[in-house]
Parts: sequence; structure tokens; C-alpha cells
Amino acid sequence: MGAPLYSISDLVHVYRAKPVLRIGRIEIPTGCIVGVIGPNGSGKSTFLRLAGFVEKPTAGEIAYNGKPAAPFSPEVRHKVSLMSQEPFLMKRTVLNNVAYGLRIRNDLNRLEQRVHAALAWVGLDAKEFAKRPSYALSGGEAQRVALAARLILKPEVLLLDEPTASIDALSAQLIKDAALKAQRDWGTTLIIASHDWQWLYGVCDRVVHLVRGRLMGSGRENIIFGPWEPGENGLWGKVLSDGQRILVQKPPEALSAAVIDHAFIVPADQPFPDGENQVRLTGLITRLALEKASGDIVGSVLVANIPFTATLTENQVLENGLYPGRCVHLLYDVNSVRWF
Amino acid sequence: MDFLLQGLLKAFEILITFDPETFSAVYATLIVSAYSLAVTLILGLPLGFCLGYFDFRIKKQVRVVVDTMLSLPTVFIGLLVYAFFTNRGPLGDLGLLFTLPGIAVGLTILALPIVIALSATAVESMDRQLRVTLISLGANRRQLFLSTLWEARLSILAAALTAYGRVMTEVGIAMMVGGNIKWQTRTITTAIALETNKGEFAAGIALGLVLLLIAFGVNVSVSSLRKRY
Repeated sequence: MGAPLYSISDLVHVYRAKPVLRIGRIEIPTGCIVGVIGPNGSGKSTFLRLAGFVEKPTAGEIAYNGKPAAPFSPEVRHKVSLMSQEPFLMKRTVLNNVAYGLRIRNDLNRLEQRVHAALAWVGLDAKEFAKRPSYALSGGEAQRVALAARLILKPEVLLLDEPTASIDALSAQLIKDAALKAQRDWGTTLIIASHDWQWLYGVCDRVVHLVRGRLMGSGRENIIFGPWEPGENGLWGKVLSDGQRILVQKPPEALSAAVIDHAFIVPADQPFPDGENQVRLTGLITRLALEKASGDIVGSVLVANIPFTATLTENQVLENGLYPGRCVHLLYDVNSVRWF
Repeated sequence: MDFLLQGLLKAFEILITFDPETFSAVYATLIVSAYSLAVTLILGLPLGFCLGYFDFRIKKQVRVVVDTMLSLPTVFIGLLVYAFFTNRGPLGDLGLLFTLPGIAVGLTILALPIVIALSATAVESMDRQLRVTLISLGANRRQLFLSTLWEARLSILAAALTAYGRVMTEVGIAMMVGGNIKWQTRTITTAIALETNKGEFAAGIALGLVLLLIAFGVNVSVSSLRKRY
């Protein structure tokens, strides 16, 4: 970790007169791995396109190494590379796709050998794939070729937008490994948007949560969207598909999003601390993931059809015998709910 | 039917013996179509790229104008060019009336909207991810333009081919601006019109065959280019 590579301030991006991204301030240090999580349409891809200097923000500044930068700026043009969610390959052979970036840099030294090495990096046999036209590749192979085309450039920053979405498990693993190797070997800063939060928590130095175009925090917050309906005792609620109710204090608006920062998990067959303001939901543990940055364990609990996350210590997991598939109670304080 | 068959046989004879008058018309056609296509591509490709690639305020209106020009009657273009190039016209001093370059100017006006409209459509219909990919791989603005054109090459080739076909087979402009002068500005199409009026079917068929042969040659070349990817 070093000085901030990115300093982003007062960033606003508007699409068709609708603001899709508003970020007050965020700094990203050199050489770290940053994960971006959030629901579909939360602005993850927009954030990556702006940070990848592919698009210019409507307002605000993105400074790279302390200097304001924009698309085509010489400070960033050959240093930052974005790989989109849908791999796009040009109507050329695999070799020419991977070599494109080097050719436009006029860096032709041992070109073919370097292309072969880049393909090997992503688990593709150059003898088999180099001469293939791009249309003769499967989705996973195309995604790996797209990554090889970026890795060959040894970028300072590699932005990956849903790199493992809708591809086979082997390709997904090879892409993950190749990206992490770039970070290890060259100190490449990785910014990864993904729904695979288990992976992100496992590898990222920092995870940020984007919701409705705004940064929410570490990604461990539970965000529940309205509509909310008035209920008993002055509380409002949202009825889930299995009949359980998420209870909150009166929301600012019926459609506001509730943020539950801290939720606790206890096994369903064990007694739990009862409190006046405590809300209890019942669900199943679906995943447990180790967070690289804190060493904590992040648990995901599916309540009806809504996934909740809660932070656990190793002791809590061991003592309570928590494991995926176990029925648990999820507890939170109704007064701790924030509004967004 | 006999006269058609005889005409066909005579046509082969004309071609095999390299009849100078026929080949003068072929030469004139190749020259004017090459000139006009070269100018059309030089002007039309960048304009078509800009029209398809960039969003600007009057884009839709420009598009309507270009699309309208696709259906300009050739005799109207001929009339317009004639009016400009005649001695009394604003460009009369250039002396282009009844010359091959004069015909090429008229044919360029005919072909330009075709190349602009079709290449704009080709660029518009390209995957939006191409731009993102090229910038992400470090392309500057010039490389972005050239690579986008290269990616759209098959569609642009089709645009050029369409324009070439239109230019090769045009009669009205060549007749009005060129004057159909023997050994000078007589093109294949104006020669066919003349020979048909004279009842000389053999010469007309011979010229028609040459036209078909050129079209076939161009299409085969384009197909082989397509297969290279």
C-alpha cells in the first residue's frame, strides 16, 4: 500500500438526465485490491468506466497519481485498463486481439512470444488458440482472451467488471488466479465489481458497497428496499414471502431503503438474548466467507428470499456450530436502522 | 430470338478481337468510376463515421438529408452539374463539361450519400463495447477511428460495392455531363443506350457482358477479402 493512486472527489454522472452515480470522496491506494459490490443497476459498471477513464464524468474530479485525468490523457492511457462484463473481441484472430495493445504502442519486440505467454497466463494453449478467429471461441475462452489482451500490457490498474459472470467454473477460476497473479507479480491495482462477494471478501483489501449510485460503506450493510407499511406499536414493516416481517421505525418515505448495519446470528435451536427493540428473523445460512482485510468471517443468511450478511468471529462460528444450511435466527435492533 | 443469339455471338467476336471503340467505352467507364469512387470514399468514409459515431444536436436532421439524397434522380444530378459546368455556369471556367472528370464529379454526387449513409449505419450498428475495449487497450483518438473503421470493414466494403455498382451502371449523368462523345466520354452505359437505339444489339450485348464481367470481378475480389478473416 502506498500513496493514493486514485483520488475521486464530488463525482457525479448523469445518464439521460438521471443521476446514476454520486460519490463524495474515495481514495484508492497503489497496489491494493478493491471490491465493488451492489445490486444490479447500482452504478458499479458506471463507476468502473469512469475509473477506467473510458468515459468522462458529468461533474467532479478523478485524480490519478495526484493529477486530474480524463479519457485519452497521456497520464492514464497506457496505464489503466478496463475489462467489461461482456467480453468484446475484435474481428481478428486471438493472436491479433491479444497483440492489439502492444501494436498501437509500437512495442513489437518478441510480440508473438509475449502473446503466447499472456495466453498461457490465462490457461489457454497458444498453439491451439493463437490462430483461431475470435468468433470460434466459447464465452469463457473469449473472456480469458480479453483478459490476456490486458495482462500483456502490464497495466498499473486493472478494472474488472463482473469478470466471472456467466462463464464456466474453470474459466472463472483461471480468470481469478490470473488477475491476482498480476497484482502479486507487478503490484497491479485491481478494482473488481462482482456479485461473488465471497471471493471479493476473500481477496480484497477493501470492499465498497454501491447502492443507487452512492457509496454505502464496507458492503456488510444490509439494505432493504421499501415499500414499508404501518404496523403495530408505531412500527412499520415489510412482509416477506414466507410471512415474516422486517420491522423498522417510521421511514422518511414509504419507498425509502433501510440500512441494517449490525445483525447477529444465533442458532435457531438455542436461546437468544431477548430485548425490547430486538427484531428476530429466521433463515438459513447460505455462505460463510473469510474477510481478508479484517480476518472476520462474513455470514450470509437467506431470510425468505432476501440475503442478509452478518459479521462473525471464529469463536462464534465454532461455539455455535454455524455452517451453511443451518437454520438460524437473525437479530437486529429496530432503533439501529438507518435510512437511505 | 435469332437476333439475340446472333448478337451474343457477335459480342464475343467484338470482345475477342479487342474492338477499339468498345474498349474506349470500357476505359472511359473504368476511369470515371475509379475517380468518383476514390473521391467518394475519401470524403464519405470520415463523414459517415462521424455521422454514425458522434451524437450531436442536428444529427437526425443531417441523417434525413443524407437519406433523401439517396434517392436523387440521376438526371437531376446531371442537370445540376451541367448547369454549373456550362460556359454560363459558375464553374464554367474549369472546362469540365463533356470531359471524363466532369462525369466523375456528377457520379461522386450520386455515390457520396450512399457511402455516407451505409457507413454511418455500419458504425452505428457496431457493438458499443468496441469503443470501451479500444480505449481500455490504450488507443488514442486516431487509433480509435482507424480501428473502428477496420472493425466495420465488411459493412464498409459492402457500402463501397453498392456505390461502385451504382456508379458503373449510371446513364443519366454520363449522358448529360459527358455528352456521349465517341472516343472521349462515351461510357459503357451510354454506348449501350446508343447502340440499342441504332439497332446494333451485338455491340450493346458485348458492352453489357463487359459490365457484368467487371461486376463479377469486383464481387469475387470482395468475397475473397471477406474470407481472409
